[in-house]
Order: sequence, then C-alpha cells, then structure tokens
Amino acid sequence: MPSDQAIREVVYRSSMALDAEDFTAFMDLCSTEFDYRITVYSPEIRKEMIWLDQDYEGMRALLEMIPQHLKRLGTLKRHVSVYIIDHDATAAIATVTSSFIVTHTDPDGVSQLFVAGTYYDEVDCRGERYLLKKRRAHLETRDLGIGSHIPI
Amino acid sequence: MSARRYQDRARPPNLRSEDYVSGQVYRDDGVFRDELDTVLGKVWHFACHLSEVPEPGDYRTFLHALQPLFVIRGEDEKVRCFFNSCPQCGARLLGDGAGTAARLRCVRHLGQFDWSGRVEASAHSGDNAESDVLSAAPRLREIHAETKNGLVFVNLDDAAQPLDAFLGQGLEIFDEVFGDDGVEYEVFHFHRATVKANWKAWQETIVDLYHEFMHVVLRTTQMTAAPMSARDLRVYPNGHLAIGGLKADYDNYKGYSARDESAAFPGLTVDDARFTPLFPDTTIITRGTVMRIDTVTPLDPHRTIVESRGLGIKGEPEPDRLMRMRHHNDYWGPFGRNVPEDAFAAEACEKSFGKGAGRYQIIARDEGGRGQDDLMLRAYYKAWSEMTGRLAHSPGNS
Repeated sequence: MPSDQAIREVVYRSSMALDAEDFTAFMDLCSTEFDYRITVYSPEIRKEMIWLDQDYEGMRALLEMIPQHLKRLGTLKRHVSVYIIDHDATAAIATVTSSFIVTHTDPDGVSQLFVAGTYYDEVDCRGERYLLKKRRAHLETRDLGIGSHIPI
Repeated sequence: MSARRYQDRARPPNLRSEDYVSGQVYRDDGVFRDELDTVLGKVWHFACHLSEVPEPGDYRTFLHALQPLFVIRGEDEKVRCFFNSCPQCGARLLGDGAGTAARLRCVRHLGQFDWSGRVEASAHSGDNAESDVLSAAPRLREIHAETKNGLVFVNLDDAAQPLDAFLGQGLEIFDEVFGDDGVEYEVFHFHRATVKANWKAWQETIVDLYHEFMHVVLRTTQMTAAPMSARDLRVYPNGHLAIGGLKADYDNYKGYSARDESAAFPGLTVDDARFTPLFPDTTIITRGTVMRIDTVTPLDPHRTIVESRGLGIKGEPEPDRLMRMRHHNDYWGPFGRNVPEDAFAAEACEKSFGKGAGRYQIIARDEGGRGQDDLMLRAYYKAWSEMTGRLAHSPGNS
C-alpha cells in the first residue's frame, strides 16, 4: 500500500512550489500524463465552467512564459489541508481530496483572501517517486479581482 | 521638487483639447453622479444573452447605474426588464443571480407578481388584489428591454430611442457572425470581477489600441500578424466604435498552436480578431473561434464590476466546446494571459488618477485611422462630453 505520508507530501510540495513560483520544482512533481483544470460552477449561467485546462506540455509552457507577463504584484500563499486519501484496487493511483484557501499578500504586507476551493488530485504511486497525475482545482470563490497568471 | 515643477505638472498639456482627458473624469464625485444620470441612465445597456434565459420564468439579476434590475422571459417568450424591487415596500424580489421563478414574490409581505410584472395576489387579501395596498402600485416597475442578435439590452430612460437607432451600424463588423440563421450562440463562461478602478479605465483597456504593447501575447501573436495599415478603425454615431483587420499568428506564443479553420465562426477565419466597443460600457470581441462580451458597471468612481461572458455555438459537440473554452481561456478569464494584465493596468491608473497624482491622459496619437491611432479614445470622450455636458479635458469639479 502506498504511503499516505508520501502522498500528502506530493500535494503539499506542489503547493509550496507554486507559492515560491518555482515552476521547475512544480513540474518535477507532475507526471507526463498530468492533466490540470480549474473548474467553477456559475449560478449566473447555471453551468460548470472550466477556467484553465492544460496538459503536461501546456502547463510547462504556460509556467515558462509567466516571467514575461505583467504580473500582479505580491505573493500568493496556498493553505492546504488534505482531507481524504483513497487508493484504487491496484494501489497504483491514489485520489486525494484537499481543501485550500489562497491568500494574496501585497507589496505593503497586507494579506487578503484570494480564493477558496478544493483540490481533487490523482497521485501516481507506481514509481519510486509519487507524482501528480491529475488536478482539478474547484473554486468556491468566483470574484477573483484582477485574477492570476499563476495557476492555483 | 520645486514649486515651479509642480505647477508645470498641473498645467494642461500643450495639445488640442480633444487630445487629452483630465484625471478628474476618473475620480470626481460630481462627474460620477452626472454619468449615472446623463450617460448610464440614458443608454442601452447589455444585460445578458438570450441563452441565459432560455425558458419562460428564467431570470437574470444585475446592476446597472447602481439600480438593481432583472430580466425575465415571459410566457409569451418576451424578455422584459424590471426593477428588482417590490412596488409596495421596496424589498428585493430576487436574491440570486439567476434562476427560474414560478412567480415573483416579495419576501416582506408575500405580494406576488407574474412574469409580465402584473400583481397576482397578496398575503393579506388572498387572490383579491384589488382590496390590497398593492392595487395602488399594481405592477412591477418595468424598463425598456429589446433584443438584437440574441443580445438583451435594457434602458432606464422612459424616452429612450429604439435600440436599433441607438446602435446604428455599431454591430456591422459582426453581421456575418450573427447573420447565419443556422448558428445560435450560447454563453459558456461567466465571471464577475470587482476591479479597483474607474469604470472608464476598464473600457479603455479595449478602446486604447496602443495598450497592446502591455500584453506579451499580443506583442507576439497580434502586432506582427498583419500590417498596422490593414487595421480598420471605425467610429459610429452615439460613440460606438469598431476595429477590424486584426489578425493573430498563434504559433508565435509558446504553448499556443495554429487553430483548425473549420472551427471558425461564420464570416471569420480562425486568425481574425474583431472588436466592437458599444458606448459606453459594453464590448464584443471575437477571436475567430470564440466570442467575449464585457460589461462594466461602476459602483463608485473608484470601483467597478466587470462582467465577462464567453460564447460558443449552441449544441456543438463536447470536444468543440472544450476547444472553444481553451481558446477563450488562452486570452481571457481570470486565469487568461491578457485579462489579468488589463485589470492590473486599470488599477495602476486608478492609483495615479484616483488621488490626483495623474493629471491628464494624453490621447493624441494620430496614425490616420489605422494602427494604434487614438481616434477611438477621442471619439469615446467626445460622446461622453456630449452626454454629460462636461468637457473631458476640463470637466470642472463637483
């Protein structure tokens, strides 16, 4: 049975890498099958929406281009709690449900809630290193102000 | 800084009056109050797309000129617009952004209205509305609502000119996009963002073509994809604007790729980009395969609600819809590559104009109606001046 502690570490390390804007470290935690989406339900149009949708290569390109963009000043910090880890019958893939809130701290040191939501992750446990295979970041917050170039 | 240099900064630019805008138009409370009455209170405002209210009883609430409103489709399929307020006690009728209302009910006294705004019953008198105080105000307060090309517009002005007269030829660059009877559009993306900036600063992120230098995506995919001389900037009566002749070379941005021509909307190629800023608060944009509609709703001179919709083709297969969502999200949405930059720029201007450090905005670029000419900004503020009765370069204080 895969180690729950190691699975949690994949989730936490992925958040820390994004917080640090260490995108190489983040991609190093992802499998080449990586499939990422930000989803949101809109009560206004009564539809489930996709606000970002990338595979491994798409995510790598997106992250590599971020330094060239006019980016929001300050930092994002992800506060993640892993709630549930489920293992499939072959113990190859773990599905992980985590709650997150992300705060934004501006250059003057003022922090505000940016977004709240839930990660629905799949962690590939087949290799020596566990890797993030799939992430659905489902948002509760819909008004994100000026938004973000950096995925959640 | 010496007093002399401070005075220099405060002095109007040595330009034609139409070539600059005073910072007061972005911060002055009196200007803002006038805008509510003389601009936003008079124009046709985009409320929603018909696909958001597909069935009788479906409604959408929204704010316009600080007024809470809703549109609702009636049993006769007509889309009407009402103040979201009980005519007897003023209580809000609909609390959600959207839904299906069996009937419209006031939470305070349980007065009940049908989808056309007629009173049906009250808690006090059962079905006998005549004996109730509601009989003194028997209908919901209705405002003008008209639909064109699936776009629902509303107008607070009782004496409003018809929508077609207001729009004129303002939507002509989308004639083919909207003109195919076999193609219906529907909204697949909606997001609302509160931006700390004056509402016109957001509209300028569309109207100000020179700002495309800010976007690395536009520098790489758009600015070199077609000659600047091919751009077609148009100014229409009532302040409406359009730009055609823009192209995109998607391969030039890392992670993007050329798009399948079969995915293009009617009348467009996949590399086409067309914009129509409808005065004063709405913009329709297409990028070949996908459409975006923005509206700006001011809360006060310094805060604005921006609502953005993404549209695809109604009934299209799921892979096509996913493709359009990706194309939409490449540029737009809260995690798009462009929209956060536009919002960042609008807020950056607010930090300067909002407190008076920024004195004037220069809109003097003249490229003969091509390229990145400020022609559209000048036309926007000309229409603004005509409606407010204030000069954009010297609007006066409140």
